[in-house]
Amino acid sequence: MSDTALRQLVIDWLDDNYHFGEAATVIGDDDRSFLKNGVLDSLGFVKLILHLETTLGVQIERKRLTPGTFDSLRSIVAHVSALPSYRGVPA
Amino acid sequence: MRAFMDHCARATGRVFPDPAAFHDFSVADYRAFWRLFLDWSGVRCDGSPDVVCTDDRVEHAVFFPNLRLNYAENLLSPAAGPDDATTAIVSCNETGETRSLTRGELRDRVGSLRQALGRIGVAPGAVVAALARNRAETVIACLASTGQGALWSSLSPDLGSDSLLSRFGQLGPTVLFVDAAHVHHGATKSVTDRIRALAEGIASIRHVVTLDDSVIEGLPGRVAQHPLSALLSTPAPAGLPWPRLPFNHPLFVLFSSGTTGAPKCLVHGHGGTLLEHLKEHRLHGGLGPADTLYFHTSCGWMMWNWQLSALASGATIVLYDGSVSFPEALALPALVDRLGVTVFGTSPAYIQFLRDAGAEPNGRLAFARLRAIQSTGSILYDAQYDWIKDHIKHVPVQSISGGSDIIGCFVLGHPLLPVYRGESQSVSLALDVRALTDRGRERVGRGELVCLNPFPSRPVGLFGDADGRRFHDAYFAANAGMWTHGDAIELTERGGARILGRTDGTLKVNGVRIGPAEIYSIVLGLPGIAGAMAIEQTAPAEPGGSRLVLLIVPAAGTNLDRPMTLAIKRELSRRASPNHVPAVIAQVSSLPVTHNGKLSERAAADAINGRPVRNIAALENPECLAAIAGHPALRLARPSDGAAA
Repeated sequence: MSDTALRQLVIDWLDDNYHFGEAATVIGDDDRSFLKNGVLDSLGFVKLILHLETTLGVQIERKRLTPGTFDSLRSIVAHVSALPSYRGVPA
Repeated sequence: MRAFMDHCARATGRVFPDPAAFHDFSVADYRAFWRLFLDWSGVRCDGSPDVVCTDDRVEHAVFFPNLRLNYAENLLSPAAGPDDATTAIVSCNETGETRSLTRGELRDRVGSLRQALGRIGVAPGAVVAALARNRAETVIACLASTGQGALWSSLSPDLGSDSLLSRFGQLGPTVLFVDAAHVHHGATKSVTDRIRALAEGIASIRHVVTLDDSVIEGLPGRVAQHPLSALLSTPAPAGLPWPRLPFNHPLFVLFSSGTTGAPKCLVHGHGGTLLEHLKEHRLHGGLGPADTLYFHTSCGWMMWNWQLSALASGATIVLYDGSVSFPEALALPALVDRLGVTVFGTSPAYIQFLRDAGAEPNGRLAFARLRAIQSTGSILYDAQYDWIKDHIKHVPVQSISGGSDIIGCFVLGHPLLPVYRGESQSVSLALDVRALTDRGRERVGRGELVCLNPFPSRPVGLFGDADGRRFHDAYFAANAGMWTHGDAIELTERGGARILGRTDGTLKVNGVRIGPAEIYSIVLGLPGIAGAMAIEQTAPAEPGGSRLVLLIVPAAGTNLDRPMTLAIKRELSRRASPNHVPAVIAQVSSLPVTHNGKLSERAAADAINGRPVRNIAALENPECLAAIAGHPALRLARPSDGAAA
């Protein structure tokens, strides 16, 4: 995965808000579905999106999100890092 | 409402030109109001209703001391009289599985279980606890237990063992109803460890009834285990009589977290609960046999008991067990649409979730039968009224507020009054609610919410508080002669109300009241922590409009690092509940204390919320507040504009 800082940002957020140090274990591998594997529910997805928008200064169009584009660690990182407004994870 | 107003006009010879005049009558002559309502609502009871209320002092009043009734009987055989084939309960879950029970089926199962419970000693004086999912089986257990005259208390399986023991441990239950697992967001989570902890930690428990028919391994030898289906296997004889109990016979225990000590155990009586809920449902909500009520709740929250009582108005109730957002954001709106719900109960936090998710419920769903939306838990902001109108349906939005303390509402909807954004439509009938200010007890204005007159759903008392001292201290010590609720209220010129927040130091985050003491009892036992303070920070972008902040003073030579932060959150989630997990944990060098050494959460809350610190002269170390207020971890992030897309 190309953007390791973004990947870690997502994992840290999951630790801070849902899995408290066990996010990496719960995620399993980067292609596992968050929704199907109890990593995050729809409520949590909304909170993650808001966090990414606030932290990274990006805008994530809700209507463009599908299980294929935003439901695994890999697809989330790929989707966000492809946004025109994405400038990397702030230091 | 109109029918009852007309009934009262005929009975009293008075004229009520408008709802305000009727409200004034209900307060000024509350005895006449409650006597008329008892008769009009057709409550099944015996004895004499002639003595309505023994005392004008709200703390000491006793309602209908010579009346006898049974709460469960009135729910199962309401005066509205829907026939036995009518659906009573619709029970749903995340998979979409839907089960219905007719009134006849519900009554038969309750009868069978009542019989079985009677054989294991459930009778007046017994205490029954339930750690259960929000399903029909829990309702059957509740109505059977209370129908036998036992005291019922229920909590939901997302609570940790510390929270469960601190609550049920005070009650000494002999019977524990349980579900061995619960399902949340598609995942089945075992509850058996907590069930064993309860059975081991509460010596009075003699029977465990598994609502899901599972077998729990490792229970103490003194505990007999019964699958529910076995207890339902013997039909009750036709016409099994209901014990008619004193009006104020204990019915429910609800828990209310305070700032210190264990949660308060509020005891509510059969008659007060039934009468207050009938009033709120039939008069303020217009509920009747044509209605299907779905209020999203768990059986650990008073809205579960409140919704259950709607059976007494002849309505059908919907029970949903699972995550609000599984498998999609529109899970609950789809349920409302599919089941033909007429009154949908929700929360500001949930409305905000739908909005943040970019959901468009009315783009996909018709809500053909929906006629009202109710909201409680926290302040429903003006913009949220508009969002409901634009994205769900243009129906009356009733913002209701009260508490477990009164198992009811101080302010709620009114079918004859318009809805104004941001306001509850009216004060509850027959409750003399005022805003207490420096000028006195105001009918219009902002102040401390107080109630001046007796009302039937005032708790019977606190469990185990034989001399009433703790009850007095909790609700009557702050302001003599009146009920002080712990909320700030604005009463408007047009008779509406806005709840402005808590005044008693308890935290209300995401619509849930949290007692700081429960957090301290866990956190202060963790290594490396010398001091802790839990406070509420206003955060408009958060669901419910605030977030929980935990200030930590580490032990000497220790720093609050990431592993410690995660460990604190993990322990609070596991042992208390997910709602007890702070949004932010920040290290500080000292916490504000008064000259007599008491922590001052109020001072810290004022500081981080940009308010002038009240009574700063009482603090030993006011200089610590600047560091707390300026802590970088407490800066609020601005929500991105993308959130509204």
